[in-house]
Amino acid sequence: MTEFAGHLPGLPREAIGWRHVAHAAWGREVEIALPQLDAGQAGALCGHVREQGRRVLRAMETGRIVAAIDQAVARLLDRSHPVRAKADELLPVVTGYGPETVGLALTSYLKSFRAPQLRRFLAEDFRDPGVLDGFRPAPKGGLVRAQGPELLLHVWAGNVPALSLWSLICGLLVKAGTIGKVASAEPLMAGWFAGLLAEIDPELGACLAILGWKGGQDACEPVFLREADTVMAYGTDATLAALRDRLPVSTRFLGHGHRIGFAMIAREALDSRKAPALARLAAQDIVRWEQQGCYSPQAIFVERGGPVAPAVFARHLAQELAALAYRHPRRALAPAEANALAQWRGRQEIAAAAGESELLGPAAAPWGVSHAEAGAALLPSGLNRTVRTVALDDLAEVAGLVAPHRRFLQTAGLAASPERLLALSEQLAAAGVTRIAALGRMTAPEAGWHHDGRFSLLDLVSFCEIEQGAETAAEGFAAYVD
Amino acid sequence: MTTQAENQARMQAQTIEALLAFMAAPDADEAAFEAMALAVFAYQFAHNAPYRAFARQRGRTPLTVRAWRDIPAVPIDAFKELTLSCCPPEDAEAVFMTSGTTQGVRGRSYHATLAVWRRSMLDTFRRRVMRGRERIRMGTLFPDGASLPNSSLATYLDLARSACGTPDSRAFIGAAGLELEPLLSTLAEVEATGEPYMLLGASYAFVPLLDALAARGRRFRLPEGSLLLDTGGFKGQSREIAPDPFYDALSAAFGVPRSACLNMYGMTELSSQFYDEGNAVCPPVKSGPHWVRTRVVDPLTGADLPEGARGVLVHHDLAHFNSVSAILTEDAGELVPGGFRLFGRVDGEASRGCSLAVAEFLAAARG
Repeated sequence: MTEFAGHLPGLPREAIGWRHVAHAAWGREVEIALPQLDAGQAGALCGHVREQGRRVLRAMETGRIVAAIDQAVARLLDRSHPVRAKADELLPVVTGYGPETVGLALTSYLKSFRAPQLRRFLAEDFRDPGVLDGFRPAPKGGLVRAQGPELLLHVWAGNVPALSLWSLICGLLVKAGTIGKVASAEPLMAGWFAGLLAEIDPELGACLAILGWKGGQDACEPVFLREADTVMAYGTDATLAALRDRLPVSTRFLGHGHRIGFAMIAREALDSRKAPALARLAAQDIVRWEQQGCYSPQAIFVERGGPVAPAVFARHLAQELAALAYRHPRRALAPAEANALAQWRGRQEIAAAAGESELLGPAAAPWGVSHAEAGAALLPSGLNRTVRTVALDDLAEVAGLVAPHRRFLQTAGLAASPERLLALSEQLAAAGVTRIAALGRMTAPEAGWHHDGRFSLLDLVSFCEIEQGAETAAEGFAAYVD
Repeated sequence: MTTQAENQARMQAQTIEALLAFMAAPDADEAAFEAMALAVFAYQFAHNAPYRAFARQRGRTPLTVRAWRDIPAVPIDAFKELTLSCCPPEDAEAVFMTSGTTQGVRGRSYHATLAVWRRSMLDTFRRRVMRGRERIRMGTLFPDGASLPNSSLATYLDLARSACGTPDSRAFIGAAGLELEPLLSTLAEVEATGEPYMLLGASYAFVPLLDALAARGRRFRLPEGSLLLDTGGFKGQSREIAPDPFYDALSAAFGVPRSACLNMYGMTELSSQFYDEGNAVCPPVKSGPHWVRTRVVDPLTGADLPEGARGVLVHHDLAHFNSVSAILTEDAGELVPGGFRLFGRVDGEASRGCSLAVAEFLAAARG
């Protein structure tokens, strides 16, 4: 079968080129057709989206956009809806993640985008979300209004299903005419979502387009890069730098690079009852999306001094990973991924041979835990269910260990008592961590999360202020002036 | 009572003697290779402590290993982290170091004696490159061993030149880099005399030479029987050129057919080299001497892959007796009749998602 990806308002399927890409996993195959525009079509599309955004989207009340997104998400949450059924069927084949993993995670993720949560997104960033609909009184006097970009370009990356929805929805909430470039590893969800929006509210659906192209190669790319007012991009530092260098200087660039997550377990959480439960939660954080998420843990710092020693916790974790491997088998790995994992495993074996650490689990296990009692520098793991546990005397040491990697930090999972949660978080925040999560929730950020510590909505808008003086001066020109 | 050191020295002498005898027997069969491999493993297990710890961890000891394929292969990273030497490292006649580093650490390969290494190099070089020729005039594109004492390639090229080169052979890379003018006049001279010539060196060293020739619009037509031999790839030392355009360019610049452009595949972490029969078609079939076996394995399970399946290369080089004979490379390849095809380095890739992977982390650490 061929699934046509993307969403192109006003462009019939036969008017454009399609690039066909075959995917196979879990004994199934699917061919994805990605829309390909030439430079002329790209220019026309930018004009159309910009014009629609300016004319239609700007005039829409935020409430109407929230309602449309809420309805689209409701359909996606309904497992019997044809689009959701298609997502459950095809996303495992395209991304390689297990069908059960995709189904469960999609539901849990989509719940962050119901109307109450969307209003939370708005409330997080705007004291008065009414500024998106018109001028509102400003605390310093005068009036203020927020405007989203006329043309917002998203450049998505990675195979985490539906990750694109996060920024896509943020853009729509600030009424940005939107063009999205899908990730080759997950090219489907953004287009399906746009299609649902177009069904629910055709005027809104005409303000966004979803397509794909080969970065750095296709003729349409320079057009999109030239036309966009704001570019929100995901990828490696190298990808982001290359992209940023090709944008006009006036274009706002919001880049989200790759990140490394880690977890910390305090001694008070390490008794014989809590430790196995925590190990299970940590294993879930590791297994969910196979550590491909920026929030996924790659190292776990475990404090000494509790009833359960760090080395024992590492064994609990190994057991949980072994158990999860049965229920949620690991996705098939591409050769380069398998190599990265094998190289990680090799390094752990070498460290073990040098007496520096201990490698748990059989050589061919689809997971790996390497436990070190010392020498605790933060290093990426081999991903795909590999993790390093590090014992230390005091979790207060962690901030110093991770601080050198500030630019790569984001999420820390933390299991500690309330007073230590705050004290340790102070240190972590200073070291560059931007999100502290509970174990088991590392890969499921709450609605309104400030991705990489930035504002999801506020970073997209600019403000227009009517100064108090202008308001006062206007009084001088009123009809009722004496 | 013998001390540990005396025991090691005695075992070392026995191992060297047995190895040299084995290397001198090109008709040695599979059983002979297996017996020699198990003996070398037993020697390395006994006298190389980090390798012993590594093998034990895998549950592989001389008591449990019955077949050479079960001898555990160490990842080449181990040469950076561990001191893999049977003799005391300070007694080693030579220490070769890798050019590539991980966070500033270079891999080290200890040689108790270079006698075995030299024998391995020369026997194979004569058979695969010289092919019955006694000597040939050589020009090398690499610094000599005096300026790079820890370079296995410099040592290799010095030995090739002294043992198989004519007296007027010389290196054309000195302290100031490529000595272009002397090289061009030498090439012009051999072109005129009709005497076959051999230009050999690092792959990346050929690139500036090709560029200089292109800039001058200069081409040579080296006499019939001339050879080019490159090795090692580009390693970020020059721009990368894909194999086909690279050999096309070599062939055009020097007037040597691609079938006379040989590529040597070697590693600091080995004591033997692999050759092809020319690069008329890329990638060519490569093979080594009879004291080396190459396996292709699934990186995840370490299991042998059948002919034609792509995996990671494992080399088992008995001549690398003082260190570890079985090494897991980071090179992709597949077994084919008569040898293997090499597809270049298998890099760990950036993650599929948005998590930071080792490759990107190390790239950032390098700046």
